[in-house]
Amino acid sequence: MTRILLSDKLDNCVARWRKAGLTVIGPVKKETFSSYAAVEKAADVKKETFSSYAAVEKAADFNFEMVMPDRSIKELFFPQTEPMMGYTIKKQDIATEDFKPPAEKRVIFGARPCDASGLAIDDPLFGWDYKDNFWFQRRDETVIVTIACTKSDDFCMCTSLKLAPDSTKGSDVLLRPLQNGKGWQVEELTDRGREAFKEIADQLQDGSEPAAPTAVVAEKFDLDACISWLKNPENFDSTFWKEISMRCIGCGSCTFLCPTCHCFDFQDEGDTYSGIRRKNWDSCSFSLFTMHTSGHNPRSTQSARWRQRIMHKFNYFPGKFTANSCSGCGRCSRQCPVDMGITETLQEISTLKP
Amino acid sequence: MTTQEQYKKRVKELLSNGTVKMVIGYKAGTTADRRRPLFVRTPEEADKLVLDSACIANLSGYLVTEGLLSDEKRVGIFLRPDGIRSINILAAEAQLNADQIVILGFDIVGQEVTALSGEKATDFSELIGSIKEKAPEAPQNPQLEQLEKMTPKERFAFWQAEFSRCIKCYACRQACPMCYCRRCIVDSNQPQWVNTSSHTLGNFEWNIVRAFHLSGRCVGCGNCDRACPVNIPLRLINAKMAQEVLGAFDHFSGMSETQEPVLASFKKDDSETFIL
Repeated sequence: MTRILLSDKLDNCVARWRKAGLTVIGPVKKETFSSYAAVEKAADVKKETFSSYAAVEKAADFNFEMVMPDRSIKELFFPQTEPMMGYTIKKQDIATEDFKPPAEKRVIFGARPCDASGLAIDDPLFGWDYKDNFWFQRRDETVIVTIACTKSDDFCMCTSLKLAPDSTKGSDVLLRPLQNGKGWQVEELTDRGREAFKEIADQLQDGSEPAAPTAVVAEKFDLDACISWLKNPENFDSTFWKEISMRCIGCGSCTFLCPTCHCFDFQDEGDTYSGIRRKNWDSCSFSLFTMHTSGHNPRSTQSARWRQRIMHKFNYFPGKFTANSCSGCGRCSRQCPVDMGITETLQEISTLKP
Repeated sequence: MTTQEQYKKRVKELLSNGTVKMVIGYKAGTTADRRRPLFVRTPEEADKLVLDSACIANLSGYLVTEGLLSDEKRVGIFLRPDGIRSINILAAEAQLNADQIVILGFDIVGQEVTALSGEKATDFSELIGSIKEKAPEAPQNPQLEQLEKMTPKERFAFWQAEFSRCIKCYACRQACPMCYCRRCIVDSNQPQWVNTSSHTLGNFEWNIVRAFHLSGRCVGCGNCDRACPVNIPLRLINAKMAQEVLGAFDHFSGMSETQEPVLASFKKDDSETFIL
């Protein structure tokens, strides 16, 4: 016997959580305006939707059908632009004001295991020498209810990263879809999760309905072989980097959609006398990222920048924090304008001599 | 022989007789409907080439990669008519020497790929002229009409909602053959002309600045639109600017490698008094 949450009770749950003062967030898909009148050819079919984790008011607002939303969960904890402090300079004094993230208790219902894992991967980073309260306040105030995947696409690669379509990493509650499609098995993992589910305890029931099989995600590369190749200092200057990144156009789409990429930049907006200091997403794909004031750029080519991204994720980051900085969602390849990404790069590396 | 096989043969010839040092084309991608840019440097590599109705990306932007053409050797490239127009603009704006480009021209009609005859940009001027004639019936015009019917307030709200998704990844800029600046204005931070933040103002600043910079230069290839990871219908903005420039100045971008850039040239006898 397991605890079961039936889909038709979800509306009550959303209402109950909202009444208790929680913001309910989940995968939402919206139609967007297409720039094409008539489809001239199959290849010109424009994606006419946009999806993200967004606030919902009722169960019907969720979309659990898609493999995963276009945008990752990261922006709910680390927004693309965030005011950090304000300043005003007057004749005699300087006043500063510290901004805090809005106090808001939230439940994210329907996170994907790769997205939830991504948050757990970044926790040590944001808590290392300096504890980033913008991240941790949101982490502490958010309950993550993950739904195990029953389908995947050609870009999913969690299993290659030693994770799985039903990984519990980073989740407070894991739900497994029922075989009959009418609800989920409930597995409470943390106190935070148990607390949130107390609120809806009377909506749950005992049952023996089996869970649907999890998605089959084939292993795409040998991660250990890749890591040992990356760790060999001789490979830093391999011609491989130039070859693999030749078609990279240097946009930041892979880094901004990545659930674990976390680099940011400070920007002061305003003038000499008053303004706001903001923390904005930044990307190692951009040449400006490492540009020195002198004009010298230590990563002056796109291949050096792509190498940095791969080295950071699978060599430097695990060296410092034990886990790889990739949860295998595949968004980097799925959304890449030139069909590049981590999968192809690591597949190629697996074939090279260590 | 299919167009693909015909062109593979031609690429092998061009590489083996030393006419070109490289050919930029397409190969298979991760999924059946995806194609990847391919850089062919040996005749053997030409076997990887794919040419079918999924080869829609405009590859001309790769030609302005730093150092690629500086040895004055020739480079071959697969281009649809819009890509050929890009070559003309890049030549007119002194970004490349069109004599160095060997064009492997093709067009896609339905699911069929047809070869276009000619290998130099000038060989296609008649074709481009006929495309100009058909410009008023461009496929995106019904969408533009829909937007024109809105009141300015509604239209502002429409674009505000569309731009609210912008994450400033600059994929639109990087995918655009016309965005070749070594240092884009948004990357200039002394002073910071354009806010880097992805808030309403920052997103408007970026997208409007780009639209102005592309006026009279965009060929409507759709690279920006397809690259956008959050599906903002970017080509509509550029299509609108192209319509305006065509109407006001009879300027259709990319007609020839000597065409004067519309917003970077003037006539002494211009009827507008503010010109001179």
